[in-house]
Order: sequence, then C-alpha cells, then structure tokens
Amino acid sequence: MNELLKELYQEIILDHGKEPRNFGECEIHNKSAHGHNPLCGDKVSLTLFVDDDDIIKDIKFSGEGCAISVASASLMTEKLKGKKLSFAEDMFKDFTDLVKGSEESLSIIDEDDSLYALKGVKDFPMRVKCATLAWHTFKNALKE
Amino acid sequence: MNKDKTLHKDIRKDFPILSKKILKTKDLVYFDTAASAQKPQVVIDELNQFYESHYSNVSRGVHTLSVESTLRYEDARKKVQNFINAKSENEIIFTKSATESINLVAQTFYDKYMSAGDEIILSLMEHHSNLIPWYFLRDKYGVVIKFANITESGEIDVNHFESLITPKTKIAALTHLSNVYGSKIDEKVSSICKRNNVAILLDGCQSAAHLKIDVQKLECDFFVFSGHKTYGPSGIGVLYGKENLLNEMPPYQGGGGMIGEVTTNKVSFAELPAKYEAGTPAIAEAHGLGIAIDYMNNIGIENIINHEEELTKYAYEKISELDFVKIYGDGDNRNSIISFNIENIHSHEVSSFLDVEGIAVRAGHHCCQPLMKHLGVNSTSRLSFGMYNTIEEVDIFINALIKCKEFFIK
Ligand SMILES: Cc1ncc(COP(=O)(O)O)c(C=O)c1O
Repeated sequence: MNELLKELYQEIILDHGKEPRNFGECEIHNKSAHGHNPLCGDKVSLTLFVDDDDIIKDIKFSGEGCAISVASASLMTEKLKGKKLSFAEDMFKDFTDLVKGSEESLSIIDEDDSLYALKGVKDFPMRVKCATLAWHTFKNALKE
Repeated sequence: MNKDKTLHKDIRKDFPILSKKILKTKDLVYFDTAASAQKPQVVIDELNQFYESHYSNVSRGVHTLSVESTLRYEDARKKVQNFINAKSENEIIFTKSATESINLVAQTFYDKYMSAGDEIILSLMEHHSNLIPWYFLRDKYGVVIKFANITESGEIDVNHFESLITPKTKIAALTHLSNVYGSKIDEKVSSICKRNNVAILLDGCQSAAHLKIDVQKLECDFFVFSGHKTYGPSGIGVLYGKENLLNEMPPYQGGGGMIGEVTTNKVSFAELPAKYEAGTPAIAEAHGLGIAIDYMNNIGIENIINHEEELTKYAYEKISELDFVKIYGDGDNRNSIISFNIENIHSHEVSSFLDVEGIAVRAGHHCCQPLMKHLGVNSTSRLSFGMYNTIEEVDIFINALIKCKEFFIK
C-alpha cells in the first residue's frame, strides 16, 4: 500500500473518523460556531463551555464530513478539553503549521502528540481545509 | 468497442498532458473532463502562434495585426455558429464563461421582459451557475423561482415541470446535460415551453463537447457553454441567443466596442454581436476555442459520441457489479458522467485514494448543493469521460475502487 496513504490514514485517524469522541452538543455552553467548507460541503458545529478562568470546561462537535475532518474535530475536542484558551490558541497555530508542512516551527505538538497523526495531510494540499475546518470553527466560536 | 480502439490510440498522442506521471510513477488517468477538458497540442500551439505572430486588439484599428487578430476572432465566431448550428453569427456572443453567459441573460432578459411577481422555472439539479444569477433577480426584483422535481433516474420530471407553468412564467433555465447524472434533458421540455410561450435557456456546459448540438432542433432561445470544457482555453464562454431576443434585450455591460455613438449626454449601441461584448474580449482564447472546435470536427463528433457511449456503458456496467457502490441515476440516459458513492466512505477519501493511484476524479457537491440535499448526501465522487479516455483506464479505475474499499473497510 502506498506510503502517503498510510501516513494520511493512520489507525487513529480512521478510528476517530468512524467513532468520533465528544460528538454532540454541550448541555450548557456559552460559545458556539458553525463551520462550513464551501468547496466540498463539509460541515461542523461546535459548542463550548468556557469558565471565568478561561478554562474550556466542555467542548463538543457535530456535523458531517470526511474521515480527515471528523477525526480532526474529534482529536481537537479531546486535546482542548480542560485547557486554557491561551493554550488553545497556541495549539491552533501549531496545528495549522503541522498540516501545512511547517514542522520546524512547532512549539507544542511533538511526535507523541495525538494531533501529530494528522501530519500526513501535508502531502495532500487539497485536504488541508478538511483538517483545519474544526480548528477554524473553534477560532470563530471564540470571537463571539 | 473495436471501432474506437483506433480512435483513442491516436487521440491520446494529441494531448501532451496525458503522458504525465502522477507522483512520479503512476500513469495519469484523467476522469475529470466534466470539470475541465484537457487541451490538444494544436490548441496549445495555436495559442502560442497567435501571440507570436498575429496578436493585437480586435476591431479597433486598421493596421495589419489588428486585421489579423480580428479575422481570427470573427472566424472563431463562425466556427461556433456552425458547431451549434445557429442561424446567424449575430447570435453568437463571446463571454468569459458559461457562468457569465447565464448572468448576462438573467439580467438583460429580466430588464426587457420581466417584472416583480413574474416566474422562472429551474430544476433541482442545476449547477450553482444556473441558480445564483436567477436568485439575484428574486432577491433584487421579487421575481418568483420554482423548481422542477428530479426523478429517481436523474431526469427532470416533465409532468411536474409542466404543472409549474402559469401565465406569469417567463423563462425556464435548465441543464441540457446534468453534470451529476449525465442525463440529457427530455426534448418535450422545449416544446412545452414553446407551447406556453416560455423562453428556455439550456445550460450546455456538459453537452457541448459530448453531444451533437443543434440549437434550432433543440428549440431553445438561449444556449450557453464554456470553452474550457470543450477542449479549448479557459476564459472564453459562449452565449447563443435568438437574434430577435438579443436585439430586443438591452446591453449587459457598458464599455468600449459595444457602442454606436457616444456624446456627453447619450449613447447608442452597436449592432449584434458587438452590443454584448463590452471591453477587450478574450481574443486569443476565442481563437483557441475555434481551433478546439476544428479539432473535434476533424475527429468527428459522431466518433467522439460513439466512443464515449461505449466507455460510459462499460463503466456503468462494471461499477454496477460492485455491490458496495451506489450510482446516482440509472443507466439508460447517461452520457459521459457517472456519480457514485462507496458505502460508508466519504468521497474525499475515495478521491485522495484514487489520486495516489494516478486517477483524477472529482469529489464534492459538484456545485449542486440543492441536488445533494435532494439526494440526502453531502457529496459524491464523479468520473467523467473525454474523447481521450480508454476502456483500459476504466479497468484500472475499477481495480482501484476495489482496493479503496478494502483499505477503508477492513
Ligand atoms: C452544468 C454546468 N453549468 C455551468 C457550469 C459553469 O461553467 P463555468 O464555470 O465554466 O462558467 C458548469 C461547470 O462546472 C457545469 O457543469
């Protein structure tokens, strides 16, 4: 099997693509956003509960999309739950660098990070938008 | 199949891009002609030649180069006229694309013939290019848009279409050949329009290079297509309109070339076709389109149609044998396009997988979001053929599809 495909579709991606974690809507939320990739029609809806100390207490997503966009959203929610917003912002930058192939500029994500599994996206430039859809939606939710 | 074996062997050599290797090792299998067709060497060469030896602006000067450019530009118009069998070259307007052609008709047809409350009929399977220009009219002027239903087999429901017509219906704008189903419009639709005094625009983006086009037989008032889908350059599109309509409708854009006389307080407009061609047009691209038409004529439209019919039939049968694939629409009325999904695998995965195998298919909503909604899906994969595709390529595709399913569903 082709190496690029193996890189792109690691077990963890296929797993999260099929059985996404934190799928649904937070019972209580104070931030939310809808994301849409107009090129392909993929959609994601994100809800968050951020407390007074800027901690992401709860985060859930729903939507329809390809394995990459669903897995990315799922991994993102796992990663950000319980984290501070400032950390999440740094993570956003790191993650977009990772999938665009600027690995040298990473400051938080390393090889052991679950998000690192999405590194293979860099060889499929047309799929970068799939991988970053949830993250951009997250950014938009914070703007509210 | 035998008769066109020779057809495609020679043809493939004419398209230099077909010898490209994908990821350095895989032969390119280009199954995305519906998005844009590849260009034969003559078109590429002629574009160069045009810029090297004949280029200047058109209709604006008397010097030699201006004459050479203008001759070629107007020659292209005649070629288009013959290609679609229009009565007069005045009925051929060059635009930048089919999209621009539809916008032109929507705006100017409204200006002349419609007012608030009048009705337009579209279908649920129109491309966004044949939706949004009409939505603009709805949102700006309060015209009413009605949608004809699509049958299970992927065709306009003719009875439903007819039932939508009222005395207020002024125009129907419909795809001649669906870019999702590959289905051709029922000829009855035009006659129904005619009988009811409703103008009809046919979106010929997908038909122009894959069917024999005769706008007089089609009984359409407008017909649009894009150069880039007919083996010509991008940046050039065609609007065919009946001469009396084009004469009655007002100009679309204002600018150089479309005027008769200009003073500080008034302007008269040029005769057809210049009336609708404001500004410097896509000169070399029009010439390139003319060359592409010559090329198709040399191969023979009938030969192209026969070859693509064989390919489509073969691919449809082969894909139908795969129980994990769902094809949209049925096999009877299908021309060069097949949209499908693999159960439980998103079209993006299919497309990325096939890409690595060297196979280019389109994934997504195909600019038909209302149709996707109607089908209850987010996206589909689509293969579409051009004259250069082969039975062998279909076999490569089928094998790859099986591998794809095994990769994602273990
Ligand atoms: C049926 C149909 N209509 C309209 C268009 C728009 O063509 P263009 O983008 O060349 O203007 C397309 C191209 O995708 C099409 O397939």
